[in-house]
Amino acid sequence: MSADPVVQACGLTRRFGERTAVDNVDLTVRSGEILGVLGPNGAGKTTTIRMLAGIIAPSAGHAVVAGVRADRDPEALHERIGLLTETPGFYDRLSALANLRFFASLYSGNLEVERQAARYLQLMGLWQRRDDRVGTFSKGMKQRLALVRALVHEPDVLFLDEPTAGLDPEAALEVRAIIADLSRQGRSILLCTHLLAEAEELCHRISVLSTRLLAAGTPEELRRRLFRRLTVVTLADDGALPGNVAAALNLLPWVRSVVVEEGDLTVEFRDPEITASCLVQAVIDAGGRITSVSE
Amino acid sequence: MNRRRLRVVMVKEWLVLSRDLNSLFTVTILPVLVVAQAIALVWLVERFAGDSLAASPLFQSALEKLRSGLPQAAALGLTDQIRIHLLSQLNFYLLLIPIVVSMSFSTFSVVDEKLSGSLEALLATPVRTSELLLGKAMAGWMPALLVTWVCSGLTLAAVALLGWGHLVSLVVTPTWVVCFFLLAPAIALLAFLLGIIGSSRARDAKSAQNLALLIVLPVLGLIALQLTGVVALGLWGTLAVAGIVALVDCLVLRAAVRLFRREAIVLSWR
Repeated sequence: MSADPVVQACGLTRRFGERTAVDNVDLTVRSGEILGVLGPNGAGKTTTIRMLAGIIAPSAGHAVVAGVRADRDPEALHERIGLLTETPGFYDRLSALANLRFFASLYSGNLEVERQAARYLQLMGLWQRRDDRVGTFSKGMKQRLALVRALVHEPDVLFLDEPTAGLDPEAALEVRAIIADLSRQGRSILLCTHLLAEAEELCHRISVLSTRLLAAGTPEELRRRLFRRLTVVTLADDGALPGNVAAALNLLPWVRSVVVEEGDLTVEFRDPEITASCLVQAVIDAGGRITSVSE
Repeated sequence: MNRRRLRVVMVKEWLVLSRDLNSLFTVTILPVLVVAQAIALVWLVERFAGDSLAASPLFQSALEKLRSGLPQAAALGLTDQIRIHLLSQLNFYLLLIPIVVSMSFSTFSVVDEKLSGSLEALLATPVRTSELLLGKAMAGWMPALLVTWVCSGLTLAAVALLGWGHLVSLVVTPTWVVCFFLLAPAIALLAFLLGIIGSSRARDAKSAQNLALLIVLPVLGLIALQLTGVVALGLWGTLAVAGIVALVDCLVLRAAVRLFRREAIVLSWR
C-alpha cells in the first residue's frame, strides 16, 4: 500500500432541494487500500459514490479521482474507474459474455475485450456459464458478474456500493473473499456498506457516514473510540475488599476505569481485545473472590 | 462523438431486440399485417362500395382533385380512378409503420434499461449521453425505415398481384417518393424521440407506449382527411408537412437530450 491518494474528496456536499444528503465530506483513498464508508441506509453512501464516480455533480466541494476532477471530465474519469452499483443491472436476455463484450467495448485504448472477459470470468468462477443468459443467473452470480464488469477494463479505482446487499450468507461470503483477493492484488477500493462486520473484515480504514462524516480511522481505532466494553464482576464477601481490588485493577494498562457499587465492580476496558479471562485472573491476583462475571 | 462507441451501442440494441419476441413481432409481423389490411381494405372498398363512393359528392370532389393533380388519370375509367385514389392514400396510412416500429423500439430500449438497472452501470462508462441517445435512436430508426420501405415495396407488389399493375406508375408519384423518403424518416425520428420522452415519465414499456401513442392521432386524422378528400396533400403539401415534422424533430430532440441528462436519469428515472 502506498501513501499516494487515488481518491481525494474535499468538502463534498450534495443537496436535493431542501434536503442535504451529503454534507461537507472529506475522504481519501490511498493507493492499494480499501476504504470503507460505513453508515445506515439513507446515510448518503450511494450519493457519495455517485459524486465520486462523476454520475452526479456535487452541490459544493470537489473530488479528484485517479488524477481527474470528477465533476470536470467524466469521460476521462470513467476510463479510470470501475463501479459496482447497488443493483447489478444487466441485459437479462443477453449472455454473460455478450454483456461483458458490450460494456468492455465502450472503453478506449487497446483493451483486449475477449481476453480480459475470459480472464475475469474464470477468476470469478463464471466461465462455464459464459454463454448463458444473465436472466437465468442467481443474485450472487449477477453480483460476481457485476464485479467482472467493474474490473474488465483494469480501472485504477473500484467503487463498490453495498456489494453484498441482498445476498444469502454463502454468496456474501464468496463476494467478500473476492474483494479481499482484489485488495491483495493491490487494488484501490472504496467500499460502501452498512455492515460493521463487513467493513471490519475487509477495510484498511473506515469512514463512518451519516450525512456528515462522524468518524474515521482504522477498524481498531474506531472500535476503541466508538464502542465501550463494560464487564461487571461480582465479588464474594470473604475476599479482598472491592475498593482494594478496584485500585489494583486501575493500575493495569488495559483498564480504562473501575466503578465500585457494593460488591460489584464495573470495569471498562481500554483495549477491547482483552478477554474476560484476563480480567478474572487480574481480580484473583488482587485477592478478590469472584461469584459471577457478566458483560 | 466516438463512432466506435456509437456502433457498439447500436449492435447491443439489435442484439437485445433480436432476443425479445414481442419486439420482433412489432418489427416484422405487424408491418406486414398493416400492408395486408390496407390492400384488403382498398380491394373491398373498390369492389363492394365503389359505385356508392363514386356517387358521393365528397368523393367526386376528391376524384376531381386527383384528375387535376394527375392528368394521366383522367384518361382512365372511373373504377381505375377510384383505385388510384384509394391506393394514393396508402402512403399516409403506411406511415403508421415507422411510427409503431420506432416507438416500440425506443420505449422498449429505455424502459428495459430502467427496469433492469443497467442504465447506472452504463452511465459509469465513458459513453457520452449523446452517443447513447444517438446509438439507440439509430438502432431504432434504421430498422423502422427499412421495414417501411420494404412494406411500400410489398404494397406495390400486392397491387400488381391484384391485376392493377398498370396503375403502379400512377401511384408512385413524386408525392409517394417524398412521403417515404422524407416524411417517413422525419416521422420515425419524431416517434422515437417521443418514445424516449414517454419512457422518461413512465414506469413500464406499456405506459410509455400509451403516452407516445398520442403521435398516432394526428397521423390518423391526416389519413381520414385525405381519404375523404377534405385535404388532398400533393407534392408541395407533403413536402411542407415533412418540413414541419423535421422542425418539430429538432425541438423534440432538444427536449429529449435535456431529459437524457445523466443526473436526471439516475435521480428521477424510477
